[in-house]
Amino acid sequence: MDDSSAHSAGKPMTRAVLYGLASLLLYFLLYLFEDSILAFTTRGGWYFIVPVAIAFIFSYAHGNFTAHFWDLLGIKAKK
Amino acid sequence: MEIAVNFIPLNALDVTYLLVVGFIGGLVSGFIGSGGAFVLTPAMMSMGVPGIIAVASNICHKFPKALVGAIKRAKYGQVDVKLGLVLGVSAEAGVLYGAHIQEGIKRSFGDSGSNLYVSVAFVVVLGIVGSYVLWDAWRVYRSGRMEEEKVSKLARWAQSINIPGTMMYFKSLNSRVSILFTIPIGFATGMLAATIAVGGFIGVPAMHYVLGAPALMASATELVIAFVMGVGGTMKFAWSGLVDIRLAMIILAGSLFGIQLGAIGTTYVKPHMIKVVMGVIMVLVLLSRAIAIPVYLSELHLINTLDPHLTGALKNISFVVLIAALAAGAAIVFASLWRGISLHRRETTLAGASVATFAPTTATTSPRAQLSPLGRFEQFLLASDGSPYSAGAVREALRMAHKCKARLRAVSVIAGGDIEHNAMGEQFVTKELDAARAHLDDIKRQASAAGVTCQIEATQGNQVYQEIITQAESVQADLIVMGRRGRHGLARFMVGPSTVRVIGHAHCNVLVVPRAAELVGRRFVVASDGSRFGDAAAVTAARLAKLYNTPITVISVTRPEHNDERRREAQQVVQRLVTLIKQEGVEAEGEIPHGRPDEMIIQTANAKNCDLIVIGSHGRTGLERILLGGTSERVIDQARCAVLVVKSA
Repeated sequence: MDDSSAHSAGKPMTRAVLYGLASLLLYFLLYLFEDSILAFTTRGGWYFIVPVAIAFIFSYAHGNFTAHFWDLLGIKAKK
Repeated sequence: MEIAVNFIPLNALDVTYLLVVGFIGGLVSGFIGSGGAFVLTPAMMSMGVPGIIAVASNICHKFPKALVGAIKRAKYGQVDVKLGLVLGVSAEAGVLYGAHIQEGIKRSFGDSGSNLYVSVAFVVVLGIVGSYVLWDAWRVYRSGRMEEEKVSKLARWAQSINIPGTMMYFKSLNSRVSILFTIPIGFATGMLAATIAVGGFIGVPAMHYVLGAPALMASATELVIAFVMGVGGTMKFAWSGLVDIRLAMIILAGSLFGIQLGAIGTTYVKPHMIKVVMGVIMVLVLLSRAIAIPVYLSELHLINTLDPHLTGALKNISFVVLIAALAAGAAIVFASLWRGISLHRRETTLAGASVATFAPTTATTSPRAQLSPLGRFEQFLLASDGSPYSAGAVREALRMAHKCKARLRAVSVIAGGDIEHNAMGEQFVTKELDAARAHLDDIKRQASAAGVTCQIEATQGNQVYQEIITQAESVQADLIVMGRRGRHGLARFMVGPSTVRVIGHAHCNVLVVPRAAELVGRRFVVASDGSRFGDAAAVTAARLAKLYNTPITVISVTRPEHNDERRREAQQVVQRLVTLIKQEGVEAEGEIPHGRPDEMIIQTANAKNCDLIVIGSHGRTGLERILLGGTSERVIDQARCAVLVVKSA
């Protein structure tokens, strides 16, 4: 079992980098198009879908990144 | 809806501030399921964000955070999704009603009335619930039974009420409960969330104390409720265009780091720590709101008008205490996490070292192993009669022999030689011996596949137990492994007369394995009455725990008739053994259960899902009455897991 975890040590790193880049890209886009995104998300009515969808997308990319981040630092759940 | 909305420009300092507060809030939420967000609304408002935008953006960051936290903790098996969704739906109704009340109060009494209402809600709810949670955590800590969670009387009552057509099974409760109990809990959670932004201060304690969910599961399930409420709330605010997605996502950036860490932290702490963190935060938040109450009373002219300086000072102190509440919670989570991880790493290192001690090459065998007959596991004797009752003994003897690199001798003893058997004829005995040999051949094949050196012998004897003892002594066995008869029906001869007699007469340790028991190293429970037999049990358990890399719970049961001195003595016994075991590099904790010893030992073992109970043998082998101590015998008889009876010379 130990062997397999040692062999797959590179994989979480790749995933962490990929999710990290995705997360970074999302935040960069949010910064770049700050005004238009803010205008679009605050139109109200059925546009309520937009902030909800953005929140889901960010939570997927950034959630996965943060999980792998602590994992790589060796902070893992017990057992 | 016509609302003048200002979305403030954000600078680097604002972003950093939100990231840090978001991280700390996430850390606390990941740990206790809620409670990390209450500081965010005032924090955003202090940056100049209008109140309603702050509330909307806060709730928009809460639901994805709760989602990520719930998924994470579901991986640890802590989430009851069904309970979360059922409570979440009624919480949604509570949120709407709570918001409606808020609006009504604001219309009638203005901002100060609304603030006073919120503060009073804080003080009343947090005062009652918070102090109870903190008191309960302290009580659990003082009792020394930190890992055992008892279902409260209230929860037992709630679970016992059967209202046809409303009953629903929840895995976290391991019971059915009427949704007529869950609806008000969810509703109150939602109302509190709408009032003070943290529904979990009602949701988590209610799930734990009223419904009977374990604290860890209650706090994890709260994340599902928070998600449901958060989605609903975000939709409501986003429909009015009030969500500042930038603020929400920046807070989310920090809080997702925090929630992951908080969730990881729950796997290292004892359940009462959830209550400690929650209680401390609740009481400090209460203090914060109580400090602000005179300000609102003064604004409503219910008391004399306060000096403007005093008003400002009270508001500032209140905000600082609010931040301190969150910081205190986060500090406890951090400390628990740090301690837990350090301990776990040390244990892993030591366990790795102990395996090396038991390497098969004789050159590396440590002299200590040779000098410690109590903890020596080099030669096993497996006594199996080929019946299904021996299946567990065979399986675990092979597993343990493999783990300990021990040699195994498997014997099957056919009762014979007495008048009764002679009357049955030689043919019958031969047939039985053939069946026994076939069974032993099968064991040998299994042993060979597992890489265990195994000798077999089918033999005959007047007294089965005597033959087993003789065999054990001939190979100088360190351990005899045996099965246990069924607990019901005709097959139940207590433990089985042979097993009891073997334990009574053997000079080595005896492991009794029920048919379905598995010894994989989840947790061992060592019971000691303070005698040298108990010490022997602890030493042996520590040795074995190192091999299995398993934590140990040491217990010493006090009886109702015991006086304070005897109880203190039990405390000392447990402390001494815990220290001894820890010195061996094994994680250990102590408990002093109160009641009938055999019942308490079994109860502790079941509650901790342990896979081995280690007890000392009192070796009470009288002339006619070859029996164990009554407690040991009853423990072996009732245990679901394997029981190791340690013999001390």
